[in-house]
Amino acid sequence: MQLPEAQVAVLKTADSTTDRPITEIAEAADLKPETATRAAFELESAGLLAVTERTETTTELTGEGREYLEDGLPELRLYSAALDAGADAEPVPLGRLLGEAELDGPAVDIALANFARKEYGTVESGEVCVDPDRDPEADDERLAVQSLAAGERVENEAVVEQLDRRGLVEVDESTVRFVRVTDDGVTALMEGVDVAETVDQLTPELITSGEWESVEFSEYNVEAEAEKSQQGKEHILRQTANRVKDVLVGMGFKEMDGPHVDAQFWINDCLFMPQDHPARTHWDQFDLEAPEEIDDLPAELVENVRNAHLEGVGEDGEGYHSPWELDVAKSLDLRGHTTSLSMRHLSGFAEGELEPPERYFSVEKVYRNDTLDPTHLLEFFQIEGWVLADELSARDLMGTFTEFYEQFGITDLDFKPHYNPYTEPSFELFGTHPETGEIVEVGNSGIFRDEVCRPLGVEADVMAWGLSLERLLMLMYGFEDIRDVHGTLCDLELLRDVEVVY
Amino acid sequence: MPVVDVDPDELRDLVGTEKSDDELREDLFALGLEFEGWTEDEQFQLEFAPDRLDRLSVEGIARSLRYQYGTDRGVYVPNTNDAEWTIEVDGPPAERPYVTGAVVRGLDFDADSLESLIQVQEKLHATMGRQRAKGAIGVHDLVALKGAAGAGGEKTIRYTSMEPDGERFVPLDSDEELTPREVTERHHMGSEYADLVADFETYPAIYDDLGLFSFPPVINGRRTEVSEASRDLLIEMTGTDQWTIDHMCSIVCYALSARGGQVERVDVEYAEDTPGEYAGHTLDRPDFSVKTKTVAHDRIESIIGVEFDTETVIDCAERAGLDATEQTRDGETVYEVEIPPYRVDVLHPLDVTDDIGRAYGFNGLEPRYPEVSTVGGRHERSRLEDAARDALVGLGFEDLLNFHMISREENFDRLGVAPGDEYLGGGHPVTIREPYSEAYEILRTWALPSLLLVLENNTHREYPQHLSEIGLAAHLDDSENTGVEEYQTVAAVLAEPGVSYEDARARLQALAGAFDTGLETPPTEHPTFISGRTAEVVLDGESAGVIGEIHPKVLVEHDLELPVVAFELRLDALR
Repeated sequence: MQLPEAQVAVLKTADSTTDRPITEIAEAADLKPETATRAAFELESAGLLAVTERTETTTELTGEGREYLEDGLPELRLYSAALDAGADAEPVPLGRLLGEAELDGPAVDIALANFARKEYGTVESGEVCVDPDRDPEADDERLAVQSLAAGERVENEAVVEQLDRRGLVEVDESTVRFVRVTDDGVTALMEGVDVAETVDQLTPELITSGEWESVEFSEYNVEAEAEKSQQGKEHILRQTANRVKDVLVGMGFKEMDGPHVDAQFWINDCLFMPQDHPARTHWDQFDLEAPEEIDDLPAELVENVRNAHLEGVGEDGEGYHSPWELDVAKSLDLRGHTTSLSMRHLSGFAEGELEPPERYFSVEKVYRNDTLDPTHLLEFFQIEGWVLADELSARDLMGTFTEFYEQFGITDLDFKPHYNPYTEPSFELFGTHPETGEIVEVGNSGIFRDEVCRPLGVEADVMAWGLSLERLLMLMYGFEDIRDVHGTLCDLELLRDVEVVY
Repeated sequence: MPVVDVDPDELRDLVGTEKSDDELREDLFALGLEFEGWTEDEQFQLEFAPDRLDRLSVEGIARSLRYQYGTDRGVYVPNTNDAEWTIEVDGPPAERPYVTGAVVRGLDFDADSLESLIQVQEKLHATMGRQRAKGAIGVHDLVALKGAAGAGGEKTIRYTSMEPDGERFVPLDSDEELTPREVTERHHMGSEYADLVADFETYPAIYDDLGLFSFPPVINGRRTEVSEASRDLLIEMTGTDQWTIDHMCSIVCYALSARGGQVERVDVEYAEDTPGEYAGHTLDRPDFSVKTKTVAHDRIESIIGVEFDTETVIDCAERAGLDATEQTRDGETVYEVEIPPYRVDVLHPLDVTDDIGRAYGFNGLEPRYPEVSTVGGRHERSRLEDAARDALVGLGFEDLLNFHMISREENFDRLGVAPGDEYLGGGHPVTIREPYSEAYEILRTWALPSLLLVLENNTHREYPQHLSEIGLAAHLDDSENTGVEEYQTVAAVLAEPGVSYEDARARLQALAGAFDTGLETPPTEHPTFISGRTAEVVLDGESAGVIGEIHPKVLVEHDLELPVVAFELRLDALR
């Protein structure tokens, strides 16, 4: 029979006639006690060894107990001193006796309490009288302390309990396991028991051959740190984008898609941005040298938008006192916001005419001719969302955004009235940062003006908002320099180590 | 966004309040004026959205606060005296045909109020005036002007044109007599605005009886310079749009009126044959006419989301500096709302509704989640992109996110590709006009250059570096309406010692397999890759990209000292 090394050692060391403690076997077989114990149980389940358990009580002197072994119990010292001073005849002042017995501090109370308990005498009004017939040499507790010090058992349990209460001994209960070789074990030993080899690697051969039953696996250091594993990971900003998309889809929003290179018509004119608006200069947007112009714009829509700019919308509407040129509208830019997608969708040019109610969103790149710094990128992701319904109010807008931002732990939303050329009313959104408690700007929102909606053929109300995804990421996860994350200057180590978003 | 500097003491004076700086800042925030910081001479720097241009001066801000505090209510229009002065418009340059003006008398300037007058001019130039192109302001000391005698005994000045070299005058901030052309070339303030008249054959000019005193929009003459001693002013504004300069003029007049000035009208007499829309007309200026918008009660309720009684609406309008009168039209309650001339932002009844909402207090509204039910969902393109990204991450790639804008050198030269090449990445790029930075001059035509840049910037980081990116690539394409084909591209690189073509092929196989597309890799040539170790990526029979070992010259170019294998393909080929 082949058995793992430890089991062979235990089986050979154990006796078939007497129960021997495992600790003793372990010592004899030069095994660690836990290894010997595990081997014993494995041998027991194989029927080769019988394991029995007994509860053993061990009583040991504490530090205080050993101290009294040398100096004598305090109450006995008081008794001897009192007897020497003639307290058997007439009362002796306690103070004098304490000095002679060299008792002070807590020992005084201990001496007096036990002196009284054991009735060696009486203490009244500071004077001590003793019983002359007592033999301190035969004191149970003194004898018990001496026996324990000598490694002997004390049979009188009441005395042990008393010593335990006095804190002079410590009583421990432990389970002691004994083993004895069974008849099957004896047979196995007679037939011969060999050591099975230990293996490092569990191989397919070991598993299929059934050999695993007789092998022993070498032990690993399971606490050691392992080598780094090559890990694939979705980019932190993509994870954040997907988190945002999940929230929006859950709130009933559909995703938009559309061109990055687009006509200023869709980017600016539909949004009722006058063509001479300061934000429409080369300084703020990326104009293109190639290609320069879009081929076609929908003629009717162009006419509507042009009229809105020049004449206004509705009975009492006024236009801007700014020029409006088709060439400017046709010129191509990198989109400065994804509101161009909203315009394409609301006008029906993206997915056909829309009937209220609808909710749409996108989390897509936009391009701004800004200075690259730790918080500003030339291209970044804009979260854009809008709701189309027959009647929407500022309160609906507030309710929707409160819900959205709460998903990211941003609460106590504040709506600061604001101005955008394309929405009225407009609100800048401020919220309380979940970690720092600071008030931070978290977005821009509003209800699209009639001058935006009517030319697109939208008679219902549309409320919309926008926010940079990078800003949300920085707010939520505390990045300080967005360039570490987004773009070719990114630090792979930072991307590898960054916590996941969920 | 415009920034105005405001002395808090002056503001307190003009408002008539003793509020502390902190209280003022809070009240200003409620108006939408954000405290940005202190100036060197201890003034508030206030930033605000560019709609309420009437708040470009401390006087205008004070007026808004007085309405907010309830000190003032309803529309206020300063009274004006009859015109003594006339501006004759006779043959100004066709590029700048319009002029307006006003006289303001009885001013008592100190350093602060003079500073404020200069500031409001600058701020109006920067905003409504579009850097003076659309409207430019000139303010003159009336004492220094000598009106020519008009037919009816009025005093006249004349807006006309002049030859660039045909005049001489002493401009502001100079001791020298210069011709207009010399001003645009040599004068430190004049040259700043030289571009505005660069294409003009003749220059705009304003004359009084003594000669040229203003060269709009470039500079005024020194003769009529305003100082603390000035009591009476002549304001003239020229521009390309009459409405714009008239409203700029109203804002300046309101500010001076708040300083105790008495506004006096001027006549603007356009000659019969002068350019522009007003030939033969005389305009009575400044135009302090109040305009009216009709606002429906129901619309106010539906936009703000609150039921109002009419008294509340009228009260809110008055606290916003408007006047509202209730009327019934077609059985509906409406308000005739009067809007003062300094309100250049009110284009539509909606703007009045917003004013009423602000006066009522938007922030006190109870948010409610709209009872509108819709079905949400992701776009198919974005689901495809995510599925491919998941597959790549599952293969051990670190997903990256790079800029779409890149330099020509990074996109082409450093990988050995040229625009117009038939190879992947060789498309003609979308090109930015006058880019500030050479690093961002085109949209990338492929994503491999971005990944090589990341490898280049991370040579100090642990290997292996297996990187992938799914993102935009674009190139010119005449068949598209925008002239650009935009598509999502899938790029991946494996950088580690001992890596070879097979490692890239293995991952590409797995990716193609995940989307159940048939992969073939016939040999091809591509300048970025080692010849004989480069293949075309063909998915379901369609050419979709390239795979191979990166050429050592490209590695050396990117300071890489270990082999890199890569592939790139169009995302939609995985469909």
